[in-house]
Amino acid sequence: MGAAHSASAEVRELEGKTGFSSDQIEQLHRRFKQLSGDQPTIRKENFNNVPDLELNPIRSKIVRAFFDNRNLRKGPSGLADEINFEDFLTIMSYFRPIDPTLGEEQVELYRKEKLRFLFHMYDSDSDGRITLEEYRNVVEELLSGNPHIEKDSARSIADGAMMEAASVCVGQMEPDQVYEGITFEDFLKIWQGIDIETKMHIRFLNMETMALCH
Amino acid sequence: MFLLLPFDSLIVNLLGISLTVLFTLLLVFIIVPAIFGVSFGIRKLYMKTLLKIFAWATLRMERGAKEKNHQLYKPYTNGIIAKDPTSLEEEIKEIRRSGSSKALDNTPEFELSDIFYFCRKGMETIMDDEVTKRFSAEELESWNLLSRTNYNFQYISLRLTVLWGLGVLIRYCFLLPLRIALAFTGISLLVVGTTVVGYLPNGRFKEFLSKHVHLMCYRICVRALTAIITYHDRENRPRNGGICVANHTSPIDVIILASDGYYAMVGQVHGGLMGVIQRAMVKACPHVWFERSEVKDRHLVAKRLTEHVRDKSKLPILIFPEGTCINNTSVMMFKKGSFEIGATVYPVAIKYDPQFGDAFWNSSKYGMVTYLLRMMTSWAIVCSVWYLPPMTREADEDAVQFANRVKSAIARQGGLVDLLWDGGLKREKVKDTFKEEQQKLYSKMIVGNHEDRSRS
Repeated sequence: MGAAHSASAEVRELEGKTGFSSDQIEQLHRRFKQLSGDQPTIRKENFNNVPDLELNPIRSKIVRAFFDNRNLRKGPSGLADEINFEDFLTIMSYFRPIDPTLGEEQVELYRKEKLRFLFHMYDSDSDGRITLEEYRNVVEELLSGNPHIEKDSARSIADGAMMEAASVCVGQMEPDQVYEGITFEDFLKIWQGIDIETKMHIRFLNMETMALCH
Repeated sequence: MFLLLPFDSLIVNLLGISLTVLFTLLLVFIIVPAIFGVSFGIRKLYMKTLLKIFAWATLRMERGAKEKNHQLYKPYTNGIIAKDPTSLEEEIKEIRRSGSSKALDNTPEFELSDIFYFCRKGMETIMDDEVTKRFSAEELESWNLLSRTNYNFQYISLRLTVLWGLGVLIRYCFLLPLRIALAFTGISLLVVGTTVVGYLPNGRFKEFLSKHVHLMCYRICVRALTAIITYHDRENRPRNGGICVANHTSPIDVIILASDGYYAMVGQVHGGLMGVIQRAMVKACPHVWFERSEVKDRHLVAKRLTEHVRDKSKLPILIFPEGTCINNTSVMMFKKGSFEIGATVYPVAIKYDPQFGDAFWNSSKYGMVTYLLRMMTSWAIVCSVWYLPPMTREADEDAVQFANRVKSAIARQGGLVDLLWDGGLKREKVKDTFKEEQQKLYSKMIVGNHEDRSRS
């Protein structure tokens, strides 16, 4: 019972850092404990306990994103072995709904953060550019389940898409100019003016307490 | 020392007298009615009294919590996320529409934005997924004076703690020994009774006796757990040559169903006490017990079940197709084996009321003995049983569709959620085929477009 008081100070600190409300933090904490099996940290293997996640073709990229040091703000590259609850919340906060009442600068900042999360998902070797190889890799993963698509079609789809991206970012290219890859600035350029807020957040239910009905 | 002697014998006498009285009471009020299937209504009275006490206790907790400004109830736990019910295609089209500045192009091949959908879906399932919820015990909204079900228990008042302490005393020192004595009586009567009946020559008299011996012992066991059961639609009870299927929450399900009808059991041969009981039961009337090695062989299992079902003089089989215990808020995938046999299926829905004691057996958390002790130290087990009208497999259905049809009927009647997932997921991983389905759908979308393009 005494533990309840120090826990709420921690909760308030997390509220400030990640922007979740205390109710949401408590729910997420329970989910964290469920995933980790009551341990203080989660490892990659713990995500195997989520059966619905198996349906997702980019499952491995999503799980990887949880341990990516760039998303955890712990370094420019590499993967962590395990994450604690605060790290878990940090990753979840990329999917927090943006409060529309905040100033334009803040909104722009959050938007950049979300796009950066996506960028890290594509850029697997952390060199700051999405190369053709990495792009192909993503397309292949998304299409890998279908036995009717040969590797070549997947490749050509990726190549076509990459060329379109290049034309948006660099404009007309010389015939022998090689396109290095999509940098984060180019990535932002592609998304300029497009509203991603509604697509990259998770809506929490309004958690009202229920009354007893005897 | 000499002063102790008369005192000693006094205590011994008292003990002897109280034991005799207890035993007589036991016999008169519990065992004899069990044999004849008569009920004095003691358990219903007990249930009503308990409900009144719980209501009072919860009121006190509410008042106490308000004074101290604590949050008393757990938040609405049906899920923390509003999941969008739109399909993969709709969502991706929408994302592309909102994104594409080249809007004239009706069939874009692949967009960076496509990854949004899968990313968000993945995050949502990590936060909150349907299946894992089913495997932990159901959470209550009021307190039933069992500390094991209260997650928010904080010290509210002296009166409440005293009440809880009294509850503990009653449950552990009075109810528990009583129940253990009853269970012991029930099981030994079963073993002895069925062995004795086994010596009789085969015939109608033997069948009659064996049915009643089984019934009597199950009734005693029901009272050993203080199970208060309400049966609905008893005219639909299973008949000979049929298969009875029910949803599975705990090993007690067997006792609950078998105390209201005559069934042949199906199961693996165990060692120890269970093995003794199984061997005795099979002497009186035919049950279907499989050796461990035979269980893997699906054809053998199907053959034996079919043989049993064809013989109209044998009792209906009782089977739990989910294969494992679920926490009684939903019904998971039924294994199709029992639905391939072609006999009439009698579905039964069992729903427990968690207010008096949580009957769910989380086999990864508790062993059998711990589980039984928990059951015997709860207040009571209250449940409702609905007998649904019989179903047969139609000509154009295969076993899986038939199984799903039965499952939906059971889920609907019991007020449980009908899930497509496999109960085996409690212990294993998802099959790859499920993952491929999603990928196929997505790739059909993209490649379909690609082909149109290259053709034009």
